[in-house]
Amino acid sequence: MPESNNTAAPATEPKMLKMTINGKEVEVKEGTSIIEAYSQHGMSIAHYCWHPGLSVAGVCRLCMVEIEGNPRLQIACNTAVTDGMKVNNESEKVKDAVKWGLDFHLINHPLDCPICDQAGECGLQDQYMAYGKYTPEMAEKKVKKHKVVDLGPRVVLDSERCILCSRCVRFTDEVSKTNELGIFNRGDRAEIGTFEGKPLDNNYSLNTVDICPVGALTSKDFRFRQRVWFLKEHNSICTGCSTGCNTRVFYNKEGLFRIKPRYNKDINGYWMTDTGRDAYKFVNKEARLLDARVVSNGRGEWIAPKLAARKAGEALKGAGKSVALVVTGQYMNEEYEALLSYFKNEVGTDRVFHWINNPETFDSFDGLLARGDKNPNTKGLLAEMAKQGFTAQWRELAEGLQTGAIKTVVVAGPENQAVFPDLKAKIMELSKASKLVWLQAGKNDQLEALTGDVTLIPLKTYVEKTGTYVNYAGIAQKVHKGLTVVPNALSLVEVVALMKGEELPADDTYNQVGLGRVHNEFTMVRGTL
Amino acid sequence: MAEVKYLSEHYHKPEYRGLAGYKANGGYAMLEKALKMQPQQIIDEVKASGLRGRGGAGFPTGMKWGFLPKNGEPRYLLCNADESEPGTFKDRVMMEKAPHQLIEGMIISAYAVGAKKAYIYIRGEYMGPAAILEEAIAEAKKAGYIGKNILGSGVDVELDLYLGAGAYICGEETGLISSLEGFKGQPKLKPPFPAVQGYLKKPTIVNNVETLAAVVNIIRDGGQGYRKYGTEKSAGTKLFSLSGAVQKPGTYEVPLGYKLMDFINNECGGLLPGRKLKGVIPGGSSAPILSAEECMDATLDYENMAAKGSMLGSGAIIVIDDSYCMVDVLSTITHFYHHESCGQCTPCREGTGWVQKIVHGIVHGNGKPGDVDLLLKIADNMKGRTICALSDAAALPVLSFVTKYREEFEYFIKEKKSKVKGTQIYAQLNPSEMGAH
Repeated sequence: MPESNNTAAPATEPKMLKMTINGKEVEVKEGTSIIEAYSQHGMSIAHYCWHPGLSVAGVCRLCMVEIEGNPRLQIACNTAVTDGMKVNNESEKVKDAVKWGLDFHLINHPLDCPICDQAGECGLQDQYMAYGKYTPEMAEKKVKKHKVVDLGPRVVLDSERCILCSRCVRFTDEVSKTNELGIFNRGDRAEIGTFEGKPLDNNYSLNTVDICPVGALTSKDFRFRQRVWFLKEHNSICTGCSTGCNTRVFYNKEGLFRIKPRYNKDINGYWMTDTGRDAYKFVNKEARLLDARVVSNGRGEWIAPKLAARKAGEALKGAGKSVALVVTGQYMNEEYEALLSYFKNEVGTDRVFHWINNPETFDSFDGLLARGDKNPNTKGLLAEMAKQGFTAQWRELAEGLQTGAIKTVVVAGPENQAVFPDLKAKIMELSKASKLVWLQAGKNDQLEALTGDVTLIPLKTYVEKTGTYVNYAGIAQKVHKGLTVVPNALSLVEVVALMKGEELPADDTYNQVGLGRVHNEFTMVRGTL
Repeated sequence: MAEVKYLSEHYHKPEYRGLAGYKANGGYAMLEKALKMQPQQIIDEVKASGLRGRGGAGFPTGMKWGFLPKNGEPRYLLCNADESEPGTFKDRVMMEKAPHQLIEGMIISAYAVGAKKAYIYIRGEYMGPAAILEEAIAEAKKAGYIGKNILGSGVDVELDLYLGAGAYICGEETGLISSLEGFKGQPKLKPPFPAVQGYLKKPTIVNNVETLAAVVNIIRDGGQGYRKYGTEKSAGTKLFSLSGAVQKPGTYEVPLGYKLMDFINNECGGLLPGRKLKGVIPGGSSAPILSAEECMDATLDYENMAAKGSMLGSGAIIVIDDSYCMVDVLSTITHFYHHESCGQCTPCREGTGWVQKIVHGIVHGNGKPGDVDLLLKIADNMKGRTICALSDAAALPVLSFVTKYREEFEYFIKEKKSKVKGTQIYAQLNPSEMGAH
């Protein structure tokens, strides 16, 4: 991913240049553009088309700066810093230019902020408050363009709101390299569009919505669902695959609504996949197992998860090799440590089996971010298994179930059930054991319909607990508990503690979501495409 | 000095268009001469001649060639034949009358700058001249003036013609390069400049038809010899396309420095009977208009036009007499730039449309008080704020018309009719141009 246009990596340590920004002396590396110098030193500069993850387009003409000795204002994004350069963007000349630049953006822009999803996080609104606040002089009719253009399965375009910054076009050209988007027609009739029969349909398409500085590109999944000022943000890690993209999860007391990427130059840059953005859906209450279910003698009942865990622990203690543990790579290091050492030392079994999502695609990689290993912590699990000396093969589980040597199976199932295509088959296979303890966050009708000796215990999801994931490259990333969706759910650490008969600390419900509707007329009249 | 026949010496001979006729009048002798010179010698002669780009910007040609990197990197020579500035039709005459003159100039220039591949980028509407050039290129290829080992000199230059799709913006050199590369014709950010990174990211020189044709004369007469016409800073002759309210509009070759009024009155037969001069656009529609008073002592050279706040441009002189309504003339011009803005840079994309709507509003009797000042403010903020000069080209006529003929605009806004009696308003509001689908 290009950091900027000037990516030619110098072989030697780059020369440092001295420059003055708004009267403040700073040092930047040779080859830095003025706009990069501003952002590196935490100074704001108005811009729409420039994006640090894309090439320089230089078309919005908003990042005007005054360079001492140059009578003409220059754009900061395409001007390289030279030694001793004195730049400012606070003079009246610059402010007037930016005000006019903004006005040119706004004359044909619809004033539909009240029904626009971008309102509250809109570049035009922000810059208008910073540089505008004038009485509009445009009395002519605005240009009419296409509304509600269906660009692809996830993205909708409103051409009238579009300011033609070309970020989305450059994204599909340079990052996803799928080239679906283009600018059609010219002048003030120009519009973003796709070619007939080639919709914007790639696993990175929603990044275009993120980088759209206005409300032109909106996500079908998120549009009209919440006003952004009703949402809180929680920094997290995407658990959709072993890449571990850094994310921001947006939620309020109604639930989780969307996930956006968070910059990390070592892992995901500015981007994330569309599939990763769905990783809030299985967290929401509607998809969750809310209480523990215990089935015995064909009769099932819902009980408190803590009680269920304690009861299960009583039966497991010292049960030895008649117990098998099946574990997915979807949990945190701290959880694996507790769980695996419990099984080795307290239960006394080495029959621990690593369940992967899909052996055929497990090692695949799309070249950008998405990996076939759909688990956030396969590395962490394998390390813990090696540490405990677990080397069991899947064949032994099938044999043990057949011969009756394995009587009890404990499963730490997938948090994200959708990425395990063999889930159904595994439930069928593992429910052959005379006793099944299934630990999982999401609800599953097949599991709830089992009639044997079955215990289902609800687990917490990645936003509800604190711990560490190790990504495919061995980078350990810690995530923090941000909110509570299912108050009764347990982490594996807590399950193990309860199984051991220990007490849990007092109730740690925190930022609870899923409590009902936020009073918001907007969501009442939600439209559909 | 009046009209001269320097570049256009043989243009009156119909046979000059063909290879045989061209050769019979001394054609391709200069190529033979040039191939015996060192490339640097040719560049030095061009520098010494003081030849300035004839496409509009007037940049010294030899200096432009000097910007090329001095390594052996592959490079291209492009001929800008996308003659689309309103009022300009001199390249067309050159290509129709003397296609081989352009080809000869191009091969010499390509040899001088070290380009092995050259293209003529011709505007889409010029299908006639394009056919003539195609034929001439085929003749020259067959005769060995284009291709490998030209005239046994060991020099290889390929030359091909590329027909544009009819966008004004492709006459801007980086827009031309984008179009030639197969992309949408949109100007590129500078730096890097084409001489460093142009066509296919290789060093590229883009010259106008007339500029390249003049190289033949420079080889014949030498750099100093070329200076027998023109002034110190504007050397040589230039072809001017004169249109508008004169008796004999057309393309004329005159030495630079020639008096504008002499040109209008002598070569062009003067104004129509009973008319009075109102203004002259000296260098294509984007050049600021000169008022009748300013025309009186104007001379046709780069420095005098610049001193008057206008420009010589491509040499497209549009003469406007007192029967024209300036508001209507401007509305035609603003319509053109709104239609042709590529839409990349916001000030131009939005500004051209805004200006056009206001001016059209005025000529349709919907003008509002304050429109005149608003036009000046908008145009002022379109100027110098974009990647290429189209925004300036759109803003300058607005600024000059509104400043110099302000009373006509104010009269029109107030009275909802033109100050010029009997004015037929040609500007039409075309719904599709207003953005409706």
